[in-house]
Amino acid sequence: MKNSFYPWGGEFTVCSFNSCIAVVLLQTNYTPPRDVAVFGPVKTENIGMEKIVANVISNPNIRYLLICGDDIRGHLPGSTLVALHKYGTDKENRVINAPGAIPYIENLEAEAVERFRKQVEILDLIGVRKNEKIDAVVRDCIKKSPPSFGSPYIAIKIMAKHRWAVTDDKRALHSKIVIDYMGKIKGRGC
Amino acid sequence: MFSFTKKQKILDISGIHIGGQPGEYPTVLFGGMFFKGEPKLDEGKEQLKKMLMLSRLTGNPAIPDFFIRKESYIEKILDFIESTLPKKHPFSIDITVPSIKIKTLEHLHRRSLLSRTIYNSIHIGVTEEERKALKKYTPAAAIVVAFNPKDKSPDGKIEVLENSAHLLDKGLLAIADEVGIKNVLVDTAALAPGENSGASVAAIPVIKEEYGLPAGCAIHNVVEKSAWLKNFDSAAKVVDASSNINIPLFGGDYAIFGPAENAEFVFPIIAWEDILISEYTENYFGTKTRENHPRRKFFK
Repeated sequence: MKNSFYPWGGEFTVCSFNSCIAVVLLQTNYTPPRDVAVFGPVKTENIGMEKIVANVISNPNIRYLLICGDDIRGHLPGSTLVALHKYGTDKENRVINAPGAIPYIENLEAEAVERFRKQVEILDLIGVRKNEKIDAVVRDCIKKSPPSFGSPYIAIKIMAKHRWAVTDDKRALHSKIVIDYMGKIKGRGC
Repeated sequence: MFSFTKKQKILDISGIHIGGQPGEYPTVLFGGMFFKGEPKLDEGKEQLKKMLMLSRLTGNPAIPDFFIRKESYIEKILDFIESTLPKKHPFSIDITVPSIKIKTLEHLHRRSLLSRTIYNSIHIGVTEEERKALKKYTPAAAIVVAFNPKDKSPDGKIEVLENSAHLLDKGLLAIADEVGIKNVLVDTAALAPGENSGASVAAIPVIKEEYGLPAGCAIHNVVEKSAWLKNFDSAAKVVDASSNINIPLFGGDYAIFGPAENAEFVFPIIAWEDILISEYTENYFGTKTRENHPRRKFFK
């Protein structure tokens, strides 16, 4: 889904825009209280994580990011998110000290990542099984009521530059038509 | 329906052929086993039996794809393979944790199973230790996943095969070659809706024309990530199974179709699609359809 407050979209539930906390779910059926800003699952340590970063910084009211549940074997998006916040990325855009398999931030500007690191505090509750304990941390954050971080940061998605140099490469599906490299079909000889 | 100008490589993995021109060989179907929790061996035995029966009926080769989540499951699953799978039948191992990948390779070597093993998978997260282990214990084949976090288009997928999008010292195909993999299957990396999900299908003919290698993907992952489908409960399974027809229709050679329990839907759908494609490609391009093809099974 897409939401005007969270322009990068994803699989999440929007609750209270003014709330200071967002919750990331890892393989858990836990449902946070409705007074959090937004909550939803993450499955991948690259694309999924990028969406969380971009969506979180678009709402400056979010000052805490709570991560709970059991991390996903191999991919470890939860622990990778913790590492991203703690260490940032190297010059190859790899999350420093990330345990996940493919921990790259490739579609976000470095500035967006830095903003994320400054805007939120991470609450690492990975592996905590007692929902009451997670609820208590959520309540505690809401009670603290920290100020907004300022203006929303709308991250631009970096798009790959395409290299469509081949223009005369044509393949036949039928003798009457040609399909060019871009997938456009036209009559042969047109 | 296509015919490729580039000569197509046909792999023979322990008796199962993968690759070639569209309509030539039947689509190979990988069914996943032991995805969740402790491996349920009795259930797995039944699923495997059913999948192999469907394969015999349709002509579409079945390859069980064993998901190994924990190190403690390795012996158990390899025992299952040795005792349940017909001798020489190939299988793939799907493992996400590098240390478990390495351990499993050692066990496969010790049990002389590497000649039947399809390694699932080599991707840009491949570690140095994993590369060393693959060199030492080389499986018969490997699935190379063309996932490029920088560029999800077919061009990006080619880039990662060529130069790992500069995230590793060399491209994924060169890494596969370096460790001694003789048989490479390219997985075009199906991503969630909103992440250029269609590119995994569009990349199939592009990669086959570029390299002549067998190509396919796990397109069912796109269905799994289509949260909106939850509102259409009764259709979800149909969509999941039929999503696989995109692969042969775009010239692909294999589908990793998700849980083996879906085999009863997937095999007839793909056999039907394979017949449709082969009728046209034989009539128009003169592609010879092989003996074990569903078209030969059902239309003598």
